[in-house]
Amino acid sequence: MHLPFCAARCGYCAFVVEVGALGRRDAYLDALLVEFERESHRLAPLETVYLGGGTPTLMRGRRLTRLLAAIRPHLAPGAEVTLEANPETVERALLDDLVAAGMTRISMGVQSLRPHVLGALDRLATPDQAVRAVSCARAAGVGSVSIDMLLAVPGQSAADLADDLAGVCAMDPDHVSWYELEIKPETALSRMGVEPLDEDAAADAFRGTVAALEDAGYRWYETANFARPGHECRHSLAYWGAADYVGLGVGAVSTVGGARWRNAGGLDPYIAALAGGGSPRRTHESLDGDTRRRERWMLGLRLDRPLAIGWAGPPDHPDALDRLARWGLIERDARTVTLTREGRFLQNAVLQELMEYA
Amino acid sequence: MNQDSIRNFCIIAHIDHGKSTLADRVLQLTGAISERDMREQVLDSMELERERGITIKAQAVRVMYRARDGHEYQLNLIDTPGHVDFSYEVSRSLAACEGALLVVDASQGIEAQTLANAYLAIESDMELIPVLNKIDLPAADPDLHGRAVAELIGEDPDRVLRVSAKTGIGIDDVLESIVERVPPPAGRPDAPARALVFDSVYDQYRGVVAFVRVVDGVLTAGTQLRAMATATKFGAEEIGVMTPRTVSTGTLSAGESGYVVTGLKRVGDLRVGDTLTVEAAPADEPLPGYREVKPMVFCGLFPTDADEYTALREALDKLSLNDASLQFEPETSQALGFGFRCGFLGLLHMDIVRERLEREYDLDLLATTPNVEYRVTTTQGEELLVRSPVDLPPTTRIERIEEPYMRCTVLVPADHVGAVMGLCQDRRGKFVTMEPIEGRQQLVYDLPLAEIVLDFYDQLKSRTRGYASLDYDLVGYRESPLVKLDILLAGDPVDALSLIVHRDMAYDRGKGLVDRLYKTIPRQMFEVPIQAAIGGKILARETVKAKRKDVLAKCYGGDISRKRKLLERQKEGKKRMKHVGAVEVPQEAFLSVLNIGHAQPSEAKR
Repeated sequence: MHLPFCAARCGYCAFVVEVGALGRRDAYLDALLVEFERESHRLAPLETVYLGGGTPTLMRGRRLTRLLAAIRPHLAPGAEVTLEANPETVERALLDDLVAAGMTRISMGVQSLRPHVLGALDRLATPDQAVRAVSCARAAGVGSVSIDMLLAVPGQSAADLADDLAGVCAMDPDHVSWYELEIKPETALSRMGVEPLDEDAAADAFRGTVAALEDAGYRWYETANFARPGHECRHSLAYWGAADYVGLGVGAVSTVGGARWRNAGGLDPYIAALAGGGSPRRTHESLDGDTRRRERWMLGLRLDRPLAIGWAGPPDHPDALDRLARWGLIERDARTVTLTREGRFLQNAVLQELMEYA
Repeated sequence: MNQDSIRNFCIIAHIDHGKSTLADRVLQLTGAISERDMREQVLDSMELERERGITIKAQAVRVMYRARDGHEYQLNLIDTPGHVDFSYEVSRSLAACEGALLVVDASQGIEAQTLANAYLAIESDMELIPVLNKIDLPAADPDLHGRAVAELIGEDPDRVLRVSAKTGIGIDDVLESIVERVPPPAGRPDAPARALVFDSVYDQYRGVVAFVRVVDGVLTAGTQLRAMATATKFGAEEIGVMTPRTVSTGTLSAGESGYVVTGLKRVGDLRVGDTLTVEAAPADEPLPGYREVKPMVFCGLFPTDADEYTALREALDKLSLNDASLQFEPETSQALGFGFRCGFLGLLHMDIVRERLEREYDLDLLATTPNVEYRVTTTQGEELLVRSPVDLPPTTRIERIEEPYMRCTVLVPADHVGAVMGLCQDRRGKFVTMEPIEGRQQLVYDLPLAEIVLDFYDQLKSRTRGYASLDYDLVGYRESPLVKLDILLAGDPVDALSLIVHRDMAYDRGKGLVDRLYKTIPRQMFEVPIQAAIGGKILARETVKAKRKDVLAKCYGGDISRKRKLLERQKEGKKRMKHVGAVEVPQEAFLSVLNIGHAQPSEAKR
């Protein structure tokens, strides 16, 4: 469920985000709940819910508890409920309320603990605020605490990254998402002409991060995600397992069976459509068997476990399996294909060898 | 018209000395075109020609001129091409004329090509009328250059005409001189017909249209004619002249020039240089033709999109209909697929053909570096002509390799002599002679064709600030220590990149190629050694390191379609790559080492 409100847009952000629209939070929440009531039956009882943004914590306790209360009756027992949070909008009282209302997991947007890197990214929280927010979450008894970080940020040296790794490990989260910064078109960073790090520096950063987090006891269970045993993000695993999901709110995407649809991005039209008793404007994509099969490979190879050919379907180029194995990038048997460690670092190249996407 | 009142003439000049403007003035003065029509180069019919200011097609134009003696004369002007590549075209046109205007720019003086074509004309026993053009220019020095031209052809300096085609001064004197000094044609009007085909064009409706000079007898429309060399028979559908517009006259008689619409559909049916005669009353002997011209420069032409191969072949077929000197044969390259090896009269000819293919036939082409034809003698005594490095026999079986040498004549002001000598020495040139000609130096060097085939002329011009002029002629084959340089990618040789080079240049060329490839071949899932080798011996090597990371970093529910589309785009990009073994090589890598005349591609970051 998308909660798009933000105090400011970060330099790298290409998400559907609304800045300076705080006056419409209530109207948006009303609309969101209407859409939820209408669509939730498709997947009830819900196994996982993810409240993302924007800055979800900008909705503040009153609205968030209202939202969580509305969701609660539709949850399966033991459901995972994740909320994304920015450290500068988190205090102990808010966290207590959220836990009481049913939040089981928090994903803290830290990105870096180095002030100049935070500055380059336009983040609002200081490193101290981040550390304090994480320890607050622990103290409030949040079931699973995850931290979001970035690597390959221009201006972030190897030493900076090493500091971030040490800092994250010191905070001892249950789960870490560590993404490589992508400079997307139409973002402030791209308009400024910022160039990404060179290939080898980015490779070093990535490999170093994986090694350091594994040393600290995290399992590298997905390309950019690390977890202590039992703390993998079930919601994300559903995506990577090509399960059905429903997205609610502006810009949200749903995939159910062979259909995918996306809600349009504008705040006011969304609110108006739902207030008027209708659905938000949506674009639809139908997914045929081949497309879904290719998506299953694309998603499945992100994980650290064998891909079952019986589940995913056959690859388009089975002849590539031999040479990929020869190059030490995969292991395989009659029923499964597994990326070797080296293969995981070249996951995209392996995928292109095996599959047809044109 | 009485043969005595006919004059067949052409205009010989170096590029830019005003040949076409002068031709237009002749047309204008005789009323063939109006003052308004006299835009630049009326006789040029192709966009390309106008752009470069040169003529490609020779055409024949008839004008009627009332001379000062009161009589009317029929003047047939044959427009000749004006570049060093086209001496073949020039000699064809000369065979159709009795006289020539030798035009020299009064501010530039004699150029190397003026000399060459003047000698050609003298050898064919033509009457040369020297004409100094552009006397209106402030830099003109008619006395100096007039004397030089006169001396060159053994003429009285007072008989050198002084004109300005641009302003019109002296043109009427030119026409009078043609009447006075060019002999009338000497053929026999009553003998069996013989007409020399000195040019042809292909019209998609009318078939081959031949330009002919009738020497003996009469050609009449509606009769059966025969091309004597190919024994092709055809009906003369239409016969006429160009004034410059086409006018059907029905007949052409001894001494006249014009066109014949043959209706023939295949270019091979009618060869330029052949003799046409009347089927019902044929001549015994054909007219003497002229020497078959060998292409001097070769290159490979490949479509960038393999699907366009057929279109390229058809385009080459059509171009060659009107350009008998263009040769081509199919060729396969490991790197570039199916294409053609083409032979041209020179670099300009090659450039023009490439441009026409790209522009008129809308083809996207790769042109590979021109190769010359080598003569290889094997240890068994066999002699082979080898154009492509892949056709070389193994080194152990080669007794010797000989390459074509050109005798190059360069005319240049004295203060640029050093630059010219330096360039020629760099290109393995052997000094022959140097002598002064009217205030400039004429240098003669023998140079391997392989060294001048690509950019020698350009270099010559740029090092002498444009003052140098060049003419060249094949002088024979000479032995050189030549070797085959191979390029290997991950151990596999890449045919398309092989070169035949002089042993002393092998390292530099090899290193250069390896470096260029290193910068343009992207990293793969494995290490890629790039090597330059002669036989088994590696001369230079660079290694493209294996990729260390290639992941789609982030993917969540809202992203799946977007990431899938990203994969689609990546896949399309990969499909455009060539594969050498398991190595993916982008077009740009081949272009960067092979293609000529294109801007440098951006190079992959290392």
